[in-house]
Parts: sequence; structure tokens; C-alpha cells
Amino acid sequence: MKECKKLVSLVKRNTKCYFKDKVMFFMSLITPLILLVLFVTFLKNIYTGSFTQIATEFGVAIEPRVLEGITGAWLMSSILSVSSVTVAFCSNVIMVEDKMNANINDFSVSPIKNTTLSVSYFISNFFVTFIVIMCVMLIGHIYIAAVGWYLSVGDVFLIIVDCVCGILFGTLLAGIIESFIKTQGGISAVSTLVSSMYGFICGAYMPLSQFSEGLRNVLGFLPGTYGVGIMRNHYMNAYVDEIIKTVDPSKADAMAKAIKDGFDANLYFCGNQVSLGAMYGILLGACAVLFAVYVLLVFLKDKKILAIKSKKC
Amino acid sequence: MIIDIENLEKSFKEVKAVDNISFKVKEGELFSFLGVNGAGKSTTINIISGILNKDNGKISVCGYDTDSHIHKIKRNIGIVFQNSVLDKKLTVLDNLKYRAALYGITGSAFKSALDETVEMFDLKEILKRPLHKLSGGQKRRIDIARALIHKPRLLILDEPTTGLDPKTRINMWNIVEKLRKENGLTVFLTTHYMEEASESDYVVIIDSGKIVAEGSPHNLKNKFASDFIKFYNHREAAQKYFSTQGYRFKNERDFTEIELSGTEEVSKFFKEKPELFDDFEVLKGNMDNVFLKVTGKDLHGG
Repeated sequence: MKECKKLVSLVKRNTKCYFKDKVMFFMSLITPLILLVLFVTFLKNIYTGSFTQIATEFGVAIEPRVLEGITGAWLMSSILSVSSVTVAFCSNVIMVEDKMNANINDFSVSPIKNTTLSVSYFISNFFVTFIVIMCVMLIGHIYIAAVGWYLSVGDVFLIIVDCVCGILFGTLLAGIIESFIKTQGGISAVSTLVSSMYGFICGAYMPLSQFSEGLRNVLGFLPGTYGVGIMRNHYMNAYVDEIIKTVDPSKADAMAKAIKDGFDANLYFCGNQVSLGAMYGILLGACAVLFAVYVLLVFLKDKKILAIKSKKC
Repeated sequence: MIIDIENLEKSFKEVKAVDNISFKVKEGELFSFLGVNGAGKSTTINIISGILNKDNGKISVCGYDTDSHIHKIKRNIGIVFQNSVLDKKLTVLDNLKYRAALYGITGSAFKSALDETVEMFDLKEILKRPLHKLSGGQKRRIDIARALIHKPRLLILDEPTTGLDPKTRINMWNIVEKLRKENGLTVFLTTHYMEEASESDYVVIIDSGKIVAEGSPHNLKNKFASDFIKFYNHREAAQKYFSTQGYRFKNERDFTEIELSGTEEVSKFFKEKPELFDDFEVLKGNMDNVFLKVTGKDLHGG
């Protein structure tokens, strides 16, 4: 019980330290927002064209508000699924700063377990990333509402659940990788690397359907890909339902499949379609594996087998 | 004994940072641990407080073995590090609150501990100010307040006054002295200021990981430090006389200073050449001389 109180206090302290640095919060928030602006400015027309092309093949025209809305929703699914991971890497800075400023030594001489300290970094990073992602989602939803809102409360709830799964994955991954980093330069380098690569390798910036089959199969082994797939489903379903209302009922399923295949709401692994349940299973399974690795690292550090030394006081 | 160290050893790869040292610290005393940078002081402190593991030896702190009861030891010690390890963006209150919680001090227990701390360290005016907006002296006060908020039996001060102005240094020592007198607090000090070490009950000097001298400041001065006579009159005569005897001298603007091995020599020359001694001053060697003699190194030069 006492250890729980210590954990709660450390989580509050880590979170407060993060939000007291306005620049840090602003930088975490601005990156996904820049992505949104870039997407809307440079790529929106390409994807609008792709949706129109599919509709034309089925002999229908998509109503402008639905077309703008589905494009915006698809862009938001990309941004949120990527940012859930990249923001987690940027926001884990308190853990690295504690090592850099030797604050960790103050915790080391206090009667708390290393496990408690490590878990506190994980929980506070989860909270911080969640808050940033919710802010991005809110801004993104204002944009979607302006161009064409068709999402239900249920959709938004499921999108939030998807964000939570993505953030859990990102926070665990960041916690593991960044536990080996001791400098500001190190965390910046890792964050930059993850930010620039992750969007491509999980198929968020470009639909996987546009990649070669071999590459699609390779990317199918990465759990992040399914995190994007889940989000795509919950953002696009309402719009797809709206679009197929306009088509001959006999072609409705085929058209829905064409849109979902073309924009990664349907994912395939070695030619077999992966169900939504399986996507959740893979993502949460990956979280379970990462959690086991995180616990192992904490255990090894606790036993001082894997000494990650901080700067000398 | 509040600290009992026997045959402590610690190496970093090829470098032996602490080489088979043993010493004891009595409850309630001011204990000084002196050495140049890299002598092994911080390594020893880090082992005592559980930051580092030792290679060999036995350490007991507050009656507990570091191998089996490090958490009980941590509850009984407070450390002021060389550099502040508090959160600069947070307020003084937040820093104290979150650090006290690490010792299980929350709610009403924290409120009462905070009231005592605020009064003792005069923190009322700065309690809600972020740490980065405080002066160096104020920050040091908070560091000490943090180290004492859980009422430890042993306070470890790792070069606590380095970089502080003289007034802040005096204030800090007044607080520590008050705590020693009123609460029987034991203080384990490492410092570069020999006048601070002179006030200690016991001093251990460490060099290249080994203890090279230990004892009370008085005994160490008697054993290792020279005495000095300053002649304000008859300077040329004194200089001539002592140089023929093979003594070193130093000419300053107002006096000539002769270095003698100890008080006995001063008495001897006073009896032999009383005519030289009509305006003079005898100075006992200080801890700087002791340190220089036993290590061959100047503490301030590193």
C-alpha cells in the first residue's frame, strides 16, 4: 500500500515536471499538428482523387461533404496511429532528464524500489501521451466537422479505445528503448528516427495497397501496422456506409471492399484477410510481449545486473 | 557507531577507486572525509547510500548491514549532493511534497513535517516559487531541507558549500550545528574547505582510494602540520639566523615567516635567541598544511 502511494506521488511528479515545461508540451503537440497541415495541404487531393476513382468505377459520385469527410478521417487515422507511438517517444523525456541531471541519484538514495520508479515513468508517459493525443484528436475532429462529419459517438469511443491501445504499444516501446539512453541528444536522435520512419513502416503515410506484395508481407509482421488498420476501420466505416447508400445494392459490398482494401481498413497477411478482432489481438499481444521485456529490464536493473549509470553528482 | 566500514573495496575496471579502507563514525559527531577529486570520497558515499555496490568489505550504517537492509538504511540517511538534484521547474513545496512521499510521509504527517521545515529553514516566502527562480543560497537551503524532511539520523553532505558565498555558507553551518545540538544528528562531510574540516570531531584523509591519515583535527595538526613564527621586528637578523640553521623562510611586506616543525622548536629558539622575539606571532599549522603533508597535494588545486 505504501509503495502504491509512492508510485502515485512519483507519477504526479513526473507528469507535473512534463507539463511545467511549456516548450516540451508545445513541441509534442505541434509535430502531429504540422503533420495534419502538411497532409491537408499536399496529400489531400491525391487521396480525394483515389476515392473518386473507386466511386467512378462503380458508376457513382461521392457527395462532396462525404468525400472531404472520408479523406479527413483517413488522414486523422494516419496521424493518430503514428502520433500514439512518436509522441510517446518524445514525451518520455523526464526519464532521460532524471538520468542526465542526476535526479535519479536522489531516488536511488530514497527507500523506493527501482520497479516503482520505472513503472512511474511508464504510467506518467502514458498519461502525457494520452493528453497530447486527445488534444490532436480534438483539433482533427474540428477539422473533420468543418468539412463533413458522419462519425457516431460509438465511432469516437472506439477511436479513443484504439488510441489507448496505440499509446500503450508506443509507451512500452519507448520505455524499453529509451531506458538505455542517458542524454538529451540520444533521446532527440531516437525520437527523430522513430518519427521519420514509423509512419512509413506501419503504412500510415502511404496505403500498404500501393506497396509491392513482398513489402506488404514484411510489414505485416509489424504490430504497428494493425494499430493503423484498427484506426482506419473506425474512422472510415461511417463514411463507407454513407457512400454505398448511393450505389446499386448488389454492388454495395464490392464497393465497400474496394474502398477498404485500397485504404488499408482491410489488411491481408500472406493473402488472408486479418479480421478486426485479430488486429486487436496482434496489437495487444505485442503489448504483452513488450510489457514482459519491460518487466525483465526493470528486474535486471533492480538486481543491478544491467547497470544504467547516471551522470555523477 | 552509526557507520562502521571494514575493508571496503571498489574498482571500476582497472581503477581501484576504494582500496581496502576501514573507519568508524560515532553517533552525533561531525565527521570529515577529505580527499582531492577522484580520491574515492564520492564512491564511498555512493556505496554507503546504496547507489553503488561494493566489491568487498563490510558496511554497517545505523546498525544495519548494507547487503541485507539497504531500505532501512535509506530511511535513516539524508544526502545533500554536490549539485542540486531537485526538480528545477517545480516549486519548493512540490519538491518537498514529492520527496517526502518517497519516505511514506503524506497527508497530515507531511503537513506537520513541512511546518517544521518551513520554520527551521525560513522558507515561507519562497515556498511557492519554482526552484529555478531561487538564488544559489536559497537552492542550497532547499537541498538541505529535502535531505532532512524525513528526520534522518545521519546527514551526508557531499561538498555542500562549494560555490556558495560566505554568508550562505555560514547560514548553512548554523542550521547544521543547530540540528546536531538539538537532535543529535550525525554529519558525514566531504569538503574542500579546510576551515570546515577543522571544526570536525574526527577527520579521515583519503588519497588514491587509501586512508593516509585519520584523527581529530588537533591531533592531525600536532602530528603533521608545521608551526610558523612571524617576525615583525629584527626581520633580517631572524632570517640570517634561521637560514644558517637550515630553515625555510618567506618574506612578506610586514613580516618574515619561518616554518618550524612544531611547538617544541619554537620554545627552543625562544630560549636561545630571546632578543629576536620582541614583536612576533606563533601560528599553529592548519588543516591545509596537514593535507598537503600527508597527500603531497593541494586540496584546492585538485
